[in-house]
Amino acid sequence: MPSISHLIEEFIRTFPFFLKPLLLTFELTFASVIVGTVIGLFVALLKVSRYPIGPIIANVYITIIRGTPLIVQIFVLYFGFYKVVDLGQFWSAALALAVHSGAYIAEIFRGSIQSIDKGQMEAGLSLGMSSSQTMRRIILPQALKRSIPPLGNQFILSLKESSLAAFIAMDELFSMARRLSAETFDEMTFFLIVAVYYLVIVMLFTYLVNKMEKRLAKGDS
Amino acid sequence: MSEKQSMIRVQNLKKSFGAVEVLKDINLEVKKGEVVVLIGASGSGKSTLIRCINFLEIKNGGEILIEGKSIDPRKDDLSKVRQKVGMVFQHFNLFPHKTVLENVIEAPQIVRKMNKEEAKKEALQLLKKVGLEEKADVYPSALSGGQKQRVAIARSLAMKPEIMLFDEPTSALDPELVGEVLETMKQLAREGMTMIIVTHEMGFAKDVADWVAFMDKGKILELAAPDEIFNRPKEERTREFLTRVL
Repeated sequence: MPSISHLIEEFIRTFPFFLKPLLLTFELTFASVIVGTVIGLFVALLKVSRYPIGPIIANVYITIIRGTPLIVQIFVLYFGFYKVVDLGQFWSAALALAVHSGAYIAEIFRGSIQSIDKGQMEAGLSLGMSSSQTMRRIILPQALKRSIPPLGNQFILSLKESSLAAFIAMDELFSMARRLSAETFDEMTFFLIVAVYYLVIVMLFTYLVNKMEKRLAKGDS
Repeated sequence: MSEKQSMIRVQNLKKSFGAVEVLKDINLEVKKGEVVVLIGASGSGKSTLIRCINFLEIKNGGEILIEGKSIDPRKDDLSKVRQKVGMVFQHFNLFPHKTVLENVIEAPQIVRKMNKEEAKKEALQLLKKVGLEEKADVYPSALSGGQKQRVAIARSLAMKPEIMLFDEPTSALDPELVGEVLETMKQLAREGMTMIIVTHEMGFAKDVADWVAFMDKGKILELAAPDEIFNRPKEERTREFLTRVL
């Protein structure tokens, strides 16, 4: 085990090297969560659709994504995107992560859409609104609000999962830790340091999500 | 009587949920301005019947005619039908993320394409009518059950329906709040609204109904004026039911 003082020294010395990777980790996470949310909403709507083809497509997608390891998906999608359209390294990685988190986000949205009392849809229909108008104006605004806390958790997962982008040569946090440990043969030090980076970000974000959850709960009754 | 326009005609209506036959060969006609009250034990099919009339449940057989026109739920525009046939639910089903005023102007704006100012003006008149104009800007969570139900009535009236269906509108209310909702409904009846009401409020049925239909096991067993149903019921089942609830 490296000593605490050694860890602190190395943390301070390598701090400048970690700034850019830190930013990239954030960018990767935000991009993948935003695109993943769009995918997730679309798939959730397919899943609750009245037409049988909708749930079938949604289930095939969700089953494949949940049934295979993320690292395999990243490699398949990264090289797959790369061969078909050159989106550049960043967007290939971000899209791979987005397609992955999209499946989980779809389940979040589906759950919250189905948690809305069915009387809401009936009220909309009974007023002459179409089912898609009612979905858009009545069900979704309520469902999206309920989705915010679990989406916060998904964001935390995505942040940690973005470390796998190191394996497709993205220079994010984990990649930098690997490089420093390879250069110094001081592996434990740099993997512990990178763990601290992730831990602090996750703790900060968890705090924000909890705070938001409390504020949202206040508006309900 | 006979010269009045037929608003709703139900012919040989059948509805099943899986293997359970909930409605068996229902026939019912409601003419313009009439108030028909459906009574009967729970599970007798009252709610299913009015939900079929609004096509929230789709019939398995028979016909439903609205203003003389037979409606095919697969071909006809149900939005058009439902604009004529308003519905008030047991659990109010107000939109919790919208204020009282927003609840009332939602459908006029979206379905009738009214502009916001006009819709607001009409909505405030309706809220005044149900005695809640000072609650226009609060959210439903701040209202009592009786107030919620009166907002739901105003919201439904905002679509200017020809017919109003009430599905146990006071069953979810505390006893002391029932009166204000019934009073609002009485007022509508006096104004000549055509109404079908599912209720357990027998006093209200006596006062307001033109006809009372007693439902039992998916059938309308007896249909008569309130005086006759309550004082001289013909069917044994009706008598049994009334002795239990009165």
